[in-house]
Amino acid sequence: MDKKTIYFDNAASSRMDERVLEAMKPYFFDVYAVATSEFGYSLGIEAREALDLARAKILSALGNPEGKLIFTSGSTESSNIAIKGVVRNLSGKKGKHIIVSKIEDFPVLNSAKSLERNGIKVTYLDVDKYGLVDLNQLKDSISKETILVSIQHANQEIGTIQDIKTIGEICDRNNVIFHSDATHSFMRIPFDLSKLSVDLLTVSAHTFHGPKGIGALFVREGVPVAKWIDGGFQEFDLRAGVENIPGAVGFAKAVELVTKEENETLRNLRDYLVEKIQNEIPYTTPNGHPEKRIPHNANITFHYVEGESITLHLDMKGFAVSTGSACFSKSLEASHVILGIGGDHERAHGSVRFTFGRFNKKEDVDKMVEALKEIVRQLRVISPLKGEKVR
Amino acid sequence: MAEIKIDCINETCPVPLVEARKALRKASKGDVVEITGTHQSSKKEIPMAVKSMGLELLGVEEEGGVWSIRIRK
Repeated sequence: MDKKTIYFDNAASSRMDERVLEAMKPYFFDVYAVATSEFGYSLGIEAREALDLARAKILSALGNPEGKLIFTSGSTESSNIAIKGVVRNLSGKKGKHIIVSKIEDFPVLNSAKSLERNGIKVTYLDVDKYGLVDLNQLKDSISKETILVSIQHANQEIGTIQDIKTIGEICDRNNVIFHSDATHSFMRIPFDLSKLSVDLLTVSAHTFHGPKGIGALFVREGVPVAKWIDGGFQEFDLRAGVENIPGAVGFAKAVELVTKEENETLRNLRDYLVEKIQNEIPYTTPNGHPEKRIPHNANITFHYVEGESITLHLDMKGFAVSTGSACFSKSLEASHVILGIGGDHERAHGSVRFTFGRFNKKEDVDKMVEALKEIVRQLRVISPLKGEKVR
Repeated sequence: MAEIKIDCINETCPVPLVEARKALRKASKGDVVEITGTHQSSKKEIPMAVKSMGLELLGVEEEGGVWSIRIRK
């Protein structure tokens, strides 16, 4: 691996903190039993205690809401359990309609599409130019048939934060279950789940320097989620399988390490990057809401060039960033998020996401913008997308 | 020294550059990678990337809308 890479793709995944690894180690080598062995021997009791302590720490960070926190393999599994679990339990009883936004991340969007192929009616809500869900459309879309609304807390590409307080209240008034994917907001912006009408919440550890392969789903007391993987009775009989105790311990440690000051530092770095790009590189447009946004995300369209080209050339100079579009899959599909906020295909293909983490420094931003200036200039010279004005 | 040929005909940007990079990562020092393609942006972008990677651009040719770029690692 190239050790010199300067990494600005922390929303995709982040470098694990050494302190997280240290917290996890004993649960690989010393307390390696599973929690369900608590009825058999001491090592099992220790494992159970570690798992429950990790759970309590994460619930505390969520504001100690009334409900259960189920450990999963990550956000994808959490959102799948939430959406398909509720639909499986209620579709024969209440109705066959769910509502999601158009700019959800793939675990939610593709769960909805999969259910749609199996006879569930899905409404895909529009968003405005900043990525905010149209709340009137949400109200109008809810019917007696509606069983679930799934709207993310913060967007994976453009960082816009949805008003989950109001969305929760709308759902509550209409007796509809509300799931929110908080993968990109949890620990980066403060929120208190005990004061929100959110019934199901998806979180993950690896986006804030925790381990990969561990996430969680919060299930509010009384929310009917069907178990969908058969096996043992782990995780309150909602998620079968051997508990990932080192992962859970690492997740809790990662939660413990995030501070308000760190999030402020990330916000400052992000703002510094955006300002520098806007001052030093012409024809750029920031995407997402100017204020209602997570602190560690910037998404910028570099007009007349392709985002994929920028990422490749930045990589060759030692910087890791990402685009929202799926060119690497060879599908050449434009970002559904940028298209969702009203961008055209050129804008969708020219967008680059920069996401910050604990190990980023201001001088890294300076170095990257220097590289970026030259890359964008050269790409515009050879670009077929523009007129003479930027050559 | 091996000669590695990559066919990116009908592929659009950035696929030819991605495939060129993959081939160059696997190639040994001194190997020649030849990429053929049809997308005009990639024809301009690959030489730019070669310069950025500090490799030797052996030549760029085009015939009948199909270009070929030869790079020595």
